[in-house]
Amino acid sequence: MKTKNMNLWALLWAILGMLYFFVPLYGTFDFSLRMKKGVLSFLAYQVVLSDPQFLASFRYSATMGIITVIASVIIFLPTVYWIYIRLPQARPVVEIISILPFIIPAIVFVFGLIRTFDRPPLELTMTPTKTDILITMGYIILSMPYMYRAIDVGMRSIDVRNLTEAAQSLGSNWFQILFNVILPNMRIAVLSGALIVFATVLGELVLGEFLVRPALGPYMVDVGRDEAYQPAAMALMAWGLTWVCLGLISIFGRGNTSEQLTGR
Amino acid sequence: MAYLELSHINKEFAKAVAVNDFNLSAEQGEFVSFLGPSGCGKTTTLRMIAGFELPTAGKIQIDGKDLTFVPPNKRNVGMVFQSYALFPNMTVAGNIAYGLKVSGKPGAEIKQRVDEMLALIHMDGFSGRYPSQISGGQQQRVALARALAIRPRVLLLDEPLSALDAKIRVELRQEIRRIQQQLGITTIYVTHDQEEALSISDRIVVMSEGKIEQIGSSSEIYNFPKTEFVANFVGQLNLLPVDVVNLADGLVKVGGQLVRTSQTLDHTNGHAIRLAVRPEELNPGHREGENNLLGRVSTITYLGPVVRVRLEVEDRLLTIDMFNERRLQVPVVGDTFEFSFHPNACWLL
Repeated sequence: MKTKNMNLWALLWAILGMLYFFVPLYGTFDFSLRMKKGVLSFLAYQVVLSDPQFLASFRYSATMGIITVIASVIIFLPTVYWIYIRLPQARPVVEIISILPFIIPAIVFVFGLIRTFDRPPLELTMTPTKTDILITMGYIILSMPYMYRAIDVGMRSIDVRNLTEAAQSLGSNWFQILFNVILPNMRIAVLSGALIVFATVLGELVLGEFLVRPALGPYMVDVGRDEAYQPAAMALMAWGLTWVCLGLISIFGRGNTSEQLTGR
Repeated sequence: MAYLELSHINKEFAKAVAVNDFNLSAEQGEFVSFLGPSGCGKTTTLRMIAGFELPTAGKIQIDGKDLTFVPPNKRNVGMVFQSYALFPNMTVAGNIAYGLKVSGKPGAEIKQRVDEMLALIHMDGFSGRYPSQISGGQQQRVALARALAIRPRVLLLDEPLSALDAKIRVELRQEIRRIQQQLGITTIYVTHDQEEALSISDRIVVMSEGKIEQIGSSSEIYNFPKTEFVANFVGQLNLLPVDVVNLADGLVKVGGQLVRTSQTLDHTNGHAIRLAVRPEELNPGHREGENNLLGRVSTITYLGPVVRVRLEVEDRLLTIDMFNERRLQVPVVGDTFEFSFHPNACWLL
């Protein structure tokens, strides 16, 4: 009897939780369909998708996202690997550093970037290309907690030290070990980190706004300031994109489990 | 000069001495086991041969070449790990071929060598499987084949059978020995399992607290241990405090009972003398011309092929192992029990 009551309570809380989540979502969706007076239509979506500025900002952010992902993997994979192999005592310090972007407000960080890098000799805000380099560096830092954690979790799931030593005894150099042995066994972890980093860059506002680059985040804010229905449509599309990313993580995460496990 | 030469090897971690003045010469094709308890420095020594650790002092030479500071990927030394360390993303064939690919061997040669190795470990039909799709014993065979595929100068095995169950362990250790003899490869085998070391080694290095206690063949180590540690660590040993009657004649007393040993000592160096005798050297009943002692049965334990009897011999505890024959008359706890042993079967420590 007691268990049955507990199950009912659990069900009630689950329903309330789902309502809290889905009712506003439904409200947003319903609102986004009412752009044409008296008719339910996808006009707001059509307007957004046919806006060349939207496509340009989406292309810009997607490009920046891909560059950020590649740069993050190149920076963090060898770094985390080296910490596991050679500097395990440095792990606590690096873990604290990796969460600094959560602690330092993005606005403070952006002003720090501008103040530091707009002066000679680098002058990274003087041309669009240089500013893109600066914004990419900013994205790498902002998404560092996600990529670092994902790679760290991946490293924990494999026997890094023994795999490294086995590869070394077979004649591999560090580069071969990293790309033939470590990276293929970290595929899922790296992919998870990459998708989260990509989604983060797509939705990022502060860097794009203050470095005055045509990113998707500032565009969405601008549209939201002037229009009623398109921001709702864009919010739902962004939400859908996040779910696509999560779905991809889930699909690739399943992978070929036989390749991912090994005797310890 | 020996094929593998370790000279005055020392290894310190911070202030702790892991290996202290280790010296070993191994001939080509020899199978040498490092035997000792956990933390005795056997794995550290092996890792120094592999190049994963640098010695604090000393020299490592293989085939006359000084490899002390050569990185592990340039040593051409094969290594088999306790945890197998197979690459999970590669098939059995991929794992075996890895070292050959890295060294830039042509595809045809790689394929031929992989097939040879698969035949050597009797796993011809497993080339397309992933490590997780084969058993622990098979994984370790693949690890062995992978290490051998590069034709290493020396094969190192770090407790390769520890993660396997008892039956597979026995099968695989015979397999390792067969392959080692077939290829004639110099092999260093680390284990804490004395039975394993005794059964497959040409020579055994018994280690304790970073130092070599004794180097010798299986029979030398077991029958003629040089130190109390070796005597105690390898096999079972009875150590009984004795009173000296005549050291020059090897005569001592266990309580009030006289024991003759074949060993004579000049002096005791101020140490208490103890009589050492293995449980299997003790025989039930009286035998003329041998040492005959009386004790009281304290416990009896059946161990399958052996029945282990614990006796109290004048306040000293002693163990006798008897073959568990069907005709064996097992004593009863509390009985007075007479047993005998030859003077050559015991020695003084």
